Amino acid sequence: MRLNTASETISFLKDLESRSAGFYEALARNHQAEGELFLVFAKENKKNITTIERTYFGVITDAIEGCFAFQIDPEAYVIRTEALPGSYADSLAKALEMEDTIVRFYLDAAGQSKCLMADVPRVMERIAKVRGERRKRLQDMLDKAG
Amino acid sequence: MAILEEPIKGVPLVKNFVNGEWIEPKGSVVEVVNPAKGEVIAKVGVSTKDDIDNAVEAAKAAYPDWRRTPPLARSRILFRLKELLEENFEELSRIQTQEHGKCIDESRGETRRGIENVEVACGIPTLQQGYYSEDIATGIDEWVIPTPLGVFGIIGPYNFPFMIPLWSAPYAVATGNTVVIKPSSEVPLSQMRLVELADEAGFPPGVWNVVNGGRTVVNGMLEHRDIKGITFVGSTPTGRDVIYRKCGETGKRVIAQCGAKNFMVVMPDCNVPRTVAALLTSFFGNTGQRCLAGANLVIVGDDPQFYRSFMDRMVEAAAAMKIGYGLDESVQMGPLRDKEKKQKVLMYIESGIKEGAKLRLDGRKPTIIGGYHDDCFLGATVFEDVRPDMRIGNEEIFGPVMSVLTASDLQEAIQLCNDSCFGNGHAVFTSNGATAREFQYNVMSGNVGINIGITAPVAFFPFSGTKDSFFGDLHTQGKEAIRFFTESKVIIQRWF
Repeated sequence: MRLNTASETISFLKDLESRSAGFYEALARNHQAEGELFLVFAKENKKNITTIERTYFGVITDAIEGCFAFQIDPEAYVIRTEALPGSYADSLAKALEMEDTIVRFYLDAAGQSKCLMADVPRVMERIAKVRGERRKRLQDMLDKAG
Repeated sequence: MAILEEPIKGVPLVKNFVNGEWIEPKGSVVEVVNPAKGEVIAKVGVSTKDDIDNAVEAAKAAYPDWRRTPPLARSRILFRLKELLEENFEELSRIQTQEHGKCIDESRGETRRGIENVEVACGIPTLQQGYYSEDIATGIDEWVIPTPLGVFGIIGPYNFPFMIPLWSAPYAVATGNTVVIKPSSEVPLSQMRLVELADEAGFPPGVWNVVNGGRTVVNGMLEHRDIKGITFVGSTPTGRDVIYRKCGETGKRVIAQCGAKNFMVVMPDCNVPRTVAALLTSFFGNTGQRCLAGANLVIVGDDPQFYRSFMDRMVEAAAAMKIGYGLDESVQMGPLRDKEKKQKVLMYIESGIKEGAKLRLDGRKPTIIGGYHDDCFLGATVFEDVRPDMRIGNEEIFGPVMSVLTASDLQEAIQLCNDSCFGNGHAVFTSNGATAREFQYNVMSGNVGINIGITAPVAFFPFSGTKDSFFGDLHTQGKEAIRFFTESKVIIQRWF
């Protein structure tokens, strides 16, 4: 089932952010040396939820095509956050994979909604950019761990 | 998709809010039904003449102090209301879906539009400023003070239970008047929650009152000598023959925003994918229960290939719409407000078939996500080969029905628009600037869309309308609302 409405797309995004935050919180518990950084990531994720929702609530009106804004296949953006693998390197690899998926989702959603709700794609692109920096950091950590 | 949590629990009794207190109306009680689920979600008291008289008396008593409250102080209360509306944005939106049936995206859009009017009214210290001329004759100065008038009545419809009273109320109270709002008794919960927040924001008792009920309340407002003006949104027969006429008889100011039959004119040079998306929202958004909804689609030109390909795309998109309970976030179209309204739309569909239009997409047996009973649901319906003399071509259906007509050129399309007795929100879809200008220049419509399917003006522009779509002079929203709710007091001064 494709995501078509603004509401379900924003909810899907919130779910990605929320589960990703949970993943980093678990990482922080399991790998305390980098715990502080992972908690910062989790906090950023939660802030992203607030930012996205506030922006969406700020621009949605009955005059734009909110119910027909997106054509997104959610199956293409599945992240796995349920169980942490044993090693630190495996966890970082999983985090990287997750970040790639979330950034892809942000950019896809931003591209599709640009013509409707300008503020929402702008915020999505900004978050995707910040996550790109996070990704680099995770890659550095993985390189060192490897 | 999971259903979002419903904010209305149990079956509350909706009371009147008068003079800062919740008061049980003296009349009978009617049920408020969630149209998607068929469940009773509230009961609302029907007010008597005494109830409306008491509310007007309270509003009149509150007026002198409120008028003396400085505009800046009034503005700060409105700012506080705006903050509270933002804090409760999601709850307010879900209430609309629960009581009306519209999709959650549409409800959130309605909430935003309502809040925008509060935001604009927050600018009252400058919006209500008068103007001044020195030396209109030697030693004589003259100026204008926009002064409030007293008590205003605001009569809301069922299709936008939260937003429409906010086209008027923030401006009325910002300018120093007091109000009595009568929501539709089919959907009273949004205004109940709104007035709770208005009270919390700090409006003094008697400034913002809500009285629930039906004709008795409306007649009580119309005949009450202490009500200085009325804003109304609803059907043309009521707006024209009751509200406008009676306000004339009793010397009240009036804004009566009424019915419509909006034409969406599609030129062959339009951006097809964007136009189709805009038309889906226009014709089927809010399940067609909107005075700015598209009703007649006019495809211009003699190119049968363009017609076929455009209509194939349009019908395919309309048929794919997800129908169900609006609190399911995947749903793109909710139910009609109640069974009677569905029956009325069905009657029009039957009429279209009988009059010889081609039923291209039949929405009478829709697939409903979630398995809800189809008491109030209809799918998108598309008729082709419609003529303007057919009932589906010239009467307001107020449901998800698209009537497709053709015109050989732009002039003929404009003529079709102008032959309609309504003039609310016609639109053209084109990529040609000259075409767009010719359309907007010649079409007789209060609001005109150019590549916009729902020509809803934002809060700092008037919500216009003409012909049988509007009765009155000034309009709701923005500067015109400020003028409507104030009298120009002109001072001419000379000192000896």
